Amino acid sequence: MKNPLYITSHGILSRKDNTLYFINETDKKQIPIHAISEINCFGKVSLKSGASTFLMKEGIVVNFFNKYGFYEGSLYPKIKLNSGLVVVRQSEHYLDVKKRQYIAKEFVEGIKHNILKTMKYYSKKGKNLDEYIENIEKENIDGDIAQMMSCEGRIWNNFYQSFNVILRKFPFNKREIRPPIDEINSLLSFGNSLLYTTVLSELYQTYLHPSVSFLHEPSERRFSLSLDFADIFKPIIVDRTIFKLVNNNMLSKKHFTYDVGCLLNDKGKQIFISEYQKKLETTIMHQTLNKKVSYKYLIRLEGYKLIKHFLKDKQYESFKMWW
Amino acid sequence: MYLVIVYDINVDRVNKVHKFLKAYLHWQQNSVFEGKVTKSQYNEIIDKLDNLIDEDEDSIIIYKFPYKYLDKKVLGIEKNPILFIL
Repeated sequence: MKNPLYITSHGILSRKDNTLYFINETDKKQIPIHAISEINCFGKVSLKSGASTFLMKEGIVVNFFNKYGFYEGSLYPKIKLNSGLVVVRQSEHYLDVKKRQYIAKEFVEGIKHNILKTMKYYSKKGKNLDEYIENIEKENIDGDIAQMMSCEGRIWNNFYQSFNVILRKFPFNKREIRPPIDEINSLLSFGNSLLYTTVLSELYQTYLHPSVSFLHEPSERRFSLSLDFADIFKPIIVDRTIFKLVNNNMLSKKHFTYDVGCLLNDKGKQIFISEYQKKLETTIMHQTLNKKVSYKYLIRLEGYKLIKHFLKDKQYESFKMWW
Repeated sequence: MYLVIVYDINVDRVNKVHKFLKAYLHWQQNSVFEGKVTKSQYNEIIDKLDNLIDEDEDSIIIYKFPYKYLDKKVLGIEKNPILFIL
């Protein structure tokens, strides 16, 4: 029921009458505090101390992005769901090489499966993707973490190369991050940082510690467990959104600015966000829970499954698209 | 579920009700609020409103229905469009 709030304009967030106010040059808007799950700031947003303490108290994560759409950092409330047991077990699974490899392998298997499903969907629609599908299917996930990482890299590489076949416009050659050189690169960067924060907010609702990760090294600067999780969901959520936006002509050259590299402008960001939000709210029938769940909730379920694995309740199997 | 709340309350208490509802729902027009809520929030709202009002003088009507049946049309000015992208 709760919706994330995206702020693309410049303004001030303040607290008044036990709820939030967003004030910018043109108007003043009330935001019901109990109707939002997280806040993503893309514009220049100032938080008054009243608003920030209030948001912390309500347990709402505030994510900040810079003007290029890259994730900068979060205002992370004090941890509400605290469990020493889970954190100890989570670290144990990281320290034990065998246990860590099992989880990392599951993650990569999930990525591989979801990418293949996405590609097969387009190949059924008449796109010639057989070569890339074969390449990915040949990949054998085994060995230590470094080998798995390089295997994951090869899978993504193949998938990205197939974009030229799937997409109707915007040629795409190579993934370039800093800065994104063409339209698709900038869409991928923007979408990935959005998904990364969505996962982080979902992880906040579980007992897991967001910086103890398994595939990526936990020493990275960011909450690396969300990097692990985000990778599994990228092909379904981010890449499918991009395919839809580009192939249905919802985005054109005028939605980008070409400065240092290529970036989405404000209008483009809004189009992307609203489509991304629709994707997250799409529901599917869950087989074991026997009820309809949204894509967003699937991310949290992934966290619950990992906790069950740590507590030796049920062995972890990564999320694999079944439809 | 989706709620539409319409109220007619004595001036002495109307501000309290307005302030309370602001934290949960979107203000639409004078004494009209609407928005999506969860089941527990729905119970919270009813419970709190019941305490705020004087049963002999005030009146609150709550319409509740699934979100998918919402069919909203606005004529004239839309005072407060519901947006989650600002």
